[in-house]
Amino acid sequence: MSDIFTRYGDGSPTRMSKEDIRFDLEEGTQDAADRGKIPALTEAELDRLFEICTMPEKAVTVERGDEVIVSFDAGTLKLPVRAGVPMDRSAAILTHERAFCSDTMELGHVDYSYKQLKAIIHEECQAMEHIQLNTIIPVFYGAMPNLGLYTKPDGPIENWSELLPLAKIDEAKAAQEEAMEHAVKDIVYVASRMYESGADGINFDTVGASGDADVLATLKAAEILKEKYPDIAIEFGMAGEFVLGMHGELYYDGTRLAGLYPHQQVKMAEKAGAAIFGAVINTNSSMSFAWNIARAVTFVKACTEAASIPVHVNVGMGVGAIPVTNTPPVDAVSRADKALVEIGKADGL
Amino acid sequence: MSLEDIIAEARETILQCDQARAVAVAERAVAQGFDPVQVLSEGFSYGIRQMGDLFGRGEVFLPQLILSSEVMKSAVAILDAAIQGGTPQAKAKMVIATVEGDVHDIGKGIVVSLLKTQGIEVYDLGRDVPTVKIIEKALEVEADIIGTSALLTTTLMGQKKLEDELRKNGLRDRFKTMVGGAPATQRWADRIGADAYAEDAAEAVTKALALLGK
Repeated sequence: MSDIFTRYGDGSPTRMSKEDIRFDLEEGTQDAADRGKIPALTEAELDRLFEICTMPEKAVTVERGDEVIVSFDAGTLKLPVRAGVPMDRSAAILTHERAFCSDTMELGHVDYSYKQLKAIIHEECQAMEHIQLNTIIPVFYGAMPNLGLYTKPDGPIENWSELLPLAKIDEAKAAQEEAMEHAVKDIVYVASRMYESGADGINFDTVGASGDADVLATLKAAEILKEKYPDIAIEFGMAGEFVLGMHGELYYDGTRLAGLYPHQQVKMAEKAGAAIFGAVINTNSSMSFAWNIARAVTFVKACTEAASIPVHVNVGMGVGAIPVTNTPPVDAVSRADKALVEIGKADGL
Repeated sequence: MSLEDIIAEARETILQCDQARAVAVAERAVAQGFDPVQVLSEGFSYGIRQMGDLFGRGEVFLPQLILSSEVMKSAVAILDAAIQGGTPQAKAKMVIATVEGDVHDIGKGIVVSLLKTQGIEVYDLGRDVPTVKIIEKALEVEADIIGTSALLTTTLMGQKKLEDELRKNGLRDRFKTMVGGAPATQRWADRIGADAYAEDAAEAVTKALALLGK
């Protein structure tokens, strides 16, 4: 049969002709190039991507010597919470170190936002100290900046998502600016305590989930932490492929944050003191894996070329060409990983 | 000024969020006797869909999108009056909600803003809304369309539940249904029997108008 087994972005299995796969690869790279105003993949890169997409094996891997580091977000939420395996966080980290051979791991709480962690910081410090005594791999502490939590009813500030549809634009912008001040304080407080408790690094996960103000708060917090602890390793994992302009007029180092794509975002993270950048490229659930991976690789290639720090591409459900399914299928995951590393030149995943 | 010029300027006023100019263009179109429906659909509505596309690419930002929808509303008010000859006409009604168990509603909020610019009366029930409440509201307001959003693969089934409940209660033919959200696709819409799927806010407007036969 000349048709190739592949999937759509929602994980649905399908078969496509080689011609259709090639067509989608070309469309995908062009879409990324148009949106990001970056170069499309070359013919040689598309040829290689086509080979990866059409390899007959169920799972594929990188060539020897191209192995990369893996880092995590929501690290200790994966086995005990999402997979429902009855183990504590310490056991989850040891399982990653000793059974999965993970290069690094992340300690995180189920209330995975810096704001929520203030109240239980003493418990988190104790957990980190205990884990550091038992592990060899670097263990990060991670959570989300999650600016939305500062709005009513969860916080003291008016909700800009409610103000904006009412066309109360100035009020919505002021609310975001106020929330940033709270977030910076909380992030710096929690990250400082965890770093002093032995964390090998601090992970900011889903930066920008609440828009450009969320990004600016994180950049400012990173700057403060870097000044306070010059050796701190900060990982900056983004929420989406471009910074959502909920405010639209926020600048960092003279650059407007809203609308920045990964190759531009990484420069902001670098300036703020990040050591690792977690690029995110959204998966379109309606499009084919070929279309999504060509797009993801195009963005990642531009990002790694622009970056001076390692780029660890997010390859979880719904990002990095991984299908939007609870348990992403290995055929798509392994092909996405291979392509992002070999063609996108990702430093890690 | 020709109809083509009016249409081009109408689009521009939306893209530039220029309320005073939009009102002036709408008034000029009416005064010159141009078809208000054509000015609305090919001019202002086209402009708002372009804004939606630009927002989806990160080239315009939410405050601009909201401003442009306010500009659109001003123009629609003038053109609507001309279309109806001063007689109020029943508006199409749509009930929209994020399904039960799902608290994500940024995207839905944008869809609501754009739908309102098209003169559709939108009842936004918010997020984490049980199916039964959606149906109750749709019956209460005699909605034409029910739209549901889901961001999570785990809550996507809420959209199927709505279709099942509508069928079970003999109500399926009373409403058109639309689905959206990251894990939703046209394939999903076909599978559960929804009438339409929209990938983003701009497409939601196009599909809603198509369902309403406009």
